[in-house]
Amino acid sequence: MMRLFWKDQLPLLLIYAAQTVLVPLLYWLSGENRPIRIILYGMSLNLVILALYLGFRYLQHYRLYQRLSHPESARLDYRSSLGTAPLPEAMDELIRRYDQHNQEQLNTQVRRMDQHIEFINRWVHQMKTPLSVIQLTLQDVEGAAADSIQEELERLRKGLEMVIYTARLDRFEDDFHVEPTFLRQAVSEAVSENRRLFIRRGIRPVIQISEELSVYTDAKWLRFMLTQILTNAVNYTQGTDKSVTITSYSQGMDNILQITDQGIGISPEDLKRVFNPYFTGERGRQYHESTGMGLYLVREICTRLGHKVELESRPGEGTVLRLIFSGTRSLQ
Amino acid sequence: METILIVEDDAKLAGLLSAYLSKYEYHTVIVKDFSAVLDSFQESSAELVLLDVNLPKYDGFYWCRQIRSLSLCPILFISARDSGMDQVMALENGGDDYITKPFHYEVVLAKIRSHLRRAYGSYAQNQEERKLQSGNLTLYPERLVIQYHGETAELTQKEVLLLEALLQKEGRVVSRERLLDLMWEDQHFIDDNTLNVYITRVRKKLKDLGLEEAVETIRGAGYRLSLSGINE
Repeated sequence: MMRLFWKDQLPLLLIYAAQTVLVPLLYWLSGENRPIRIILYGMSLNLVILALYLGFRYLQHYRLYQRLSHPESARLDYRSSLGTAPLPEAMDELIRRYDQHNQEQLNTQVRRMDQHIEFINRWVHQMKTPLSVIQLTLQDVEGAAADSIQEELERLRKGLEMVIYTARLDRFEDDFHVEPTFLRQAVSEAVSENRRLFIRRGIRPVIQISEELSVYTDAKWLRFMLTQILTNAVNYTQGTDKSVTITSYSQGMDNILQITDQGIGISPEDLKRVFNPYFTGERGRQYHESTGMGLYLVREICTRLGHKVELESRPGEGTVLRLIFSGTRSLQ
Repeated sequence: METILIVEDDAKLAGLLSAYLSKYEYHTVIVKDFSAVLDSFQESSAELVLLDVNLPKYDGFYWCRQIRSLSLCPILFISARDSGMDQVMALENGGDDYITKPFHYEVVLAKIRSHLRRAYGSYAQNQEERKLQSGNLTLYPERLVIQYHGETAELTQKEVLLLEALLQKEGRVVSRERLLDLMWEDQHFIDDNTLNVYITRVRKKLKDLGLEEAVETIRGAGYRLSLSGINE
């Protein structure tokens, strides 16, 4: 801070030094032989006045210098006044204007985003009524066509669900409720909810989770994550007599939910990127099912809920996904 | 015959619900004027209300409070909104249950039945038990019994589910997927082999009653119950 002050005052000090030299030089050139005492006296008098000025100046602009020399730490209280001298006041005004402008823009953006989320929410809900009508109408229709429509209907429903959960993610703070949740029950419900997918693909779900095991999580978000994970596990599995195994175990203080499939797996170069949004990779392009959002959402939700997610895969053999409910004691 | 008031602004959905409930001998009234739901309620003297949340003018919560000021009848919300908050709102405004869209007929019917029973004790009133009949073959799903020409056979819960599905679509193919879906109850997984086992048992029981080869296997599709020819 002092450095900035001295740097700022350097021209003044130079001028002062020049003047201090200039006056005795003038005396000397004009032949007026003033006693050296008088000259020194005048110089020290000037020096005192300079020191007083510098001190006053320093105090007056103290906060300005402070703020300017530590811009990073000043961010928190950037709105507090810099002082009453003309320069700090002008500076204050400038900051205030900028700030106001930025706030206005920010508010516009926030409002726009809120409106957008609101629109998406309403739209998704509006779509659910036609979905109901199709579903109910379909119950009186038979044959292969009906099954096919049913399948597409389910994809639509899942798509809409993904849209609404993605939109909700932006307002996550208002929309979650962590409480002890029985893992076995949550998994069973998620599997059951996606049972048509399992049936259609002829894939057997195997659930091996202790009845009493419970973890701290939000049931609704967990259910959504499980649907994403199970959908992946089933969609990337082919062939007969394959299964998706869901187990749980403890590791230290953590409870771990492990979902193992016998699918096509993920290549090592894709493994790091599968959590990126819109990343579909080799297998996504191969299977045309992927939106690339499922695992991204899973990781985002995990981060917000304080869980961890891990992925391990061997191409051709299958994929293991682990949800780690860290630090949560089991509540047995 | 109980009257059910349907307050749903999607005309098609209201129509489908009404048609379905009529099949189960409920009298339905569909609200047309959404500014006067309360009048329709009073005119119809409904015993139960199906109420959508998003309605023109006032929302379902508002109408629920209005109806509550007049009546204690069961009010079941039907809504696309599935957040916990909406369900809490529904219950706090006097609703009795909450069904989220998209739903299946069976869910709505089951909830209507259970609420009518609880509200009006219609266990006694509605004693008529459910039965499915085709010619001389009668299935009593609630008693787990099947009857043919006076002969009866006892069934298990799963066998009843199978026979009910087959009987409902008698003469037409019911897909394996549909049957597996139906039987995958209570989160308990049923695979193809298990289904085969159940089908075999059903065939045996029908055979014991004198109905041979009533359940046909349609390769690659599913099963068909055909009673024509054998069942006069």
